[in-house]
Order: sequence, then structure tokens, then C-alpha cells
Amino acid sequence: MDTLLYPLEWVVANIVVIWHQIWAFIGLDPTSGITWALAIVGLVVTIRAALIPLFVKQIKASRAMQLIAPDLKKVQDKYKGKKDQASREAMSRETMELYSKHKTNPFASCLPMLIQAPIFFALFRVLNYNLGGDAGPIGLLSQDLIDQAANATFFGAHLNETFFNSEGMSAKIVSAVLIVAMVTTTFLTQHQLTRKNLPASALEGPMAQQQKILMYALPFIFVITGPNFPVGVLIYWTTTNIWTFGQQFYVIRNNPTPGSEAERQHQERLAAKAARKAARRGEDPSAVVIEQAPAIEDESKRSGQRQQPKRKNRGGSKPQALPADDTKDES
Amino acid sequence: MSVAGRALTGAIRGYQLGISPLTGPRCKYHPTCSHFAIEAIQVHGAFVGTGLAAWRVLRCNPWSNGGVDDVPEKGERLFRLTRNNAAMLNQSTSARLT
Repeated sequence: MDTLLYPLEWVVANIVVIWHQIWAFIGLDPTSGITWALAIVGLVVTIRAALIPLFVKQIKASRAMQLIAPDLKKVQDKYKGKKDQASREAMSRETMELYSKHKTNPFASCLPMLIQAPIFFALFRVLNYNLGGDAGPIGLLSQDLIDQAANATFFGAHLNETFFNSEGMSAKIVSAVLIVAMVTTTFLTQHQLTRKNLPASALEGPMAQQQKILMYALPFIFVITGPNFPVGVLIYWTTTNIWTFGQQFYVIRNNPTPGSEAERQHQERLAAKAARKAARRGEDPSAVVIEQAPAIEDESKRSGQRQQPKRKNRGGSKPQALPADDTKDES
Repeated sequence: MSVAGRALTGAIRGYQLGISPLTGPRCKYHPTCSHFAIEAIQVHGAFVGTGLAAWRVLRCNPWSNGGVDDVPEKGERLFRLTRNNAAMLNQSTSARLT
């Protein structure tokens, strides 16, 4: 494990030291804990900025989504109201096939997340064993800097102190505040995604219910794990969460998923903007709004299923019972 | 299933229940990488299954287009650059999965 992660630890340590020097150059006190905390924030900025090209790619993919929205709607209508597992899976198969046929995909893909895990692990080790422990210097992080960082305090807390392993109250208070911030930002990110950026079809059914429970329950995992993490790691994690939230906010605002609540708001904003522009030109703003109206389809007509043809005067003595509705027994 | 296969499957189930809901849907493929991994371990055993899953995760990168990609049958060619069973849209779900 040591040798495997060493290159990553070397990079992480160097980035932190470089940021520390940048802050010191700007005029912050190099021995102060805030400077070291900001150096960790700088590490987050570096890593996430390096990932921005991927983020832009994802935005472009979601723009392309607008183009295939009609096809997507067809698939959704085909499986509308069908909630059994086989239909769900068939729908997901067809949807995915559609994406790949059009060479676009709204999902971020699995690999980047798995790559970020070792980075986090390396940071944890650098903060825990190099800065805080006795693993010694690594890269640009010399013994002098380690001593300096070990003595620096951030609102009275040393960066390598954890909630459980600390002296005095200040480290406990700082880590408690950071843990609360972590729980809040994780929850808000998840809430923002599910409440605003998922189509209505994804918000019904037992799976959605389960997801909702998890959304409320899971951030509290940090309440259990957080107290074991050093303050420096908590700073890193909170900053990353805030960055993720902001990035997601931007995407949802400008590239909402078709059929979601966020898309409706996006359309409203666009319409309002068009109306304002028209008003400025001295035209009748309501004319623009009417132009938008046909876009909103009648929900009841949106069924891709073939309607059973019915004979007007059906023979038979009794009115027949309706066929069993397979959507009802699910809920 | 072997002990190793069972342990790996358990770990992946843990990820699916505990971690995945936090990050939201992100996999470009169907079945998702984690479902693919479980199925691959079921069909090909812990060792080859892990290899297949690792290869799948590597293909689930920002430059791929995603799509339907099933676990190859036993005896079929295992590691391809392209997707498996790409055209078999109508043969709906993998029968192996419950």
C-alpha cells in the first residue's frame, strides 16, 4: 500500500505545499492554521479544476440530449405506467441503446469517481501520517514545514486532530461544525438532484420511495465516520462537497433533464426573458407566451401504447369487468 | 459460488445500497457497472468475473458512448473493445438476473 500510493501522496503533498507558499506570498501568515486550511482548499480547487474538461464534456452531452428528447419521449411513453421490473429493465435497455446510437450520454461514467477515491486516500495519509504523524517529509513537504503545520491552529484546532483524538474543546467544536457542514452539503446536493432534475416518471414507484429514505438517512454516515477524520480531511471533504453542489446547481439551472421540474423552471425563465425583450422592443409581450404554449403537451394524450379498438355496441349480456390493472398492485 | 465470489458480491451489494444512492446515477451502460460485476462473478467466477468488471469500469469513462453491454456467455470471447450483445435489444433482460 505504501509504495502503491506513494506517487499520489507525493503529488498531493506538493500541491498543498505550493498552495501554502502562494498564500504566504500573498501575505498570509505561513505559520497560521488558516493558511494551511486554505492550502487544503487550494488542493480541492486544483483537483476539481483539472476535472473541469470532463465536466464540460458532460454538459455538452446533456445539450445533445435536447436533440434526442423526442426519441426518448417515445421510449418513455411506450413504458408509461409499467412499473414491473422486466419493463423497467427493458426501458432502461432501450434508453441506453438510444444514447449510444446518438453517441451521447448524460451520465458522468464510473471511472472518474473510482479514480478520485485513491486521491482522497492519499490525502488522508498525507494529513494523518506525514503532516500529523511521524512518517517524515515527502516531496516539497520538509520537516520544517511539518513542524510548522503541526503547531498551526485553525480556530484553536490542529489540522491533524480528530474529534475523538484531540485535547481541549476547540478541535471538537471545529470538527463538529465541519461534520454538520458535510452532512448538510451532501444532503443538499442529493436533494437538489432528485427534487429538481429528475423527470416525474423517476419520482414514483417503490424505488423512488427507497431512494428518498436513503437521501435523508445516508448523509448521517458522516456523523459516524467523521469523528475519526482529522480536521484537515474534514476541510477537504467539506470544500469538495460545496464545489460539487455549486457545479450541480449550474448544470441543473442551464442544462436541466428533459421532463423535470428544473426544465419547467428553465423554460419559464426563458419565456420571461423573451417577454422582457419583446416588451423592450415595444411589442406585446403576451404574443411570445402564446407561441410557447403548444410545447406543453396534453399529458393525457401522451401514451405510446396502442389503444385497443372497441366495437361500439359490444355484444354480451353483462358489462364485462375491466382487465386487471397491473399498475395498481405495485403500490 | 465460492467464498471469494460471495465476499465480492456482498461488497458490491453494499456499494449499491450504501454509496451509490449518494452519488446518483452515473453509469453509462446497462446493466450498470455494479450489476455487471455481480453477474460476471456469478457466471465466470470470482477471478475472471473481477477481470471482466475491471475492464467494464475502464470502458465506463468520459470518452465512451455507453449503451447496452451484457456479460458475455461462457465460452464467448470475454474481452472486447466494443460492447457485447449490442444489437440484441429485443431479447429483453438477462435471464440470469432475478
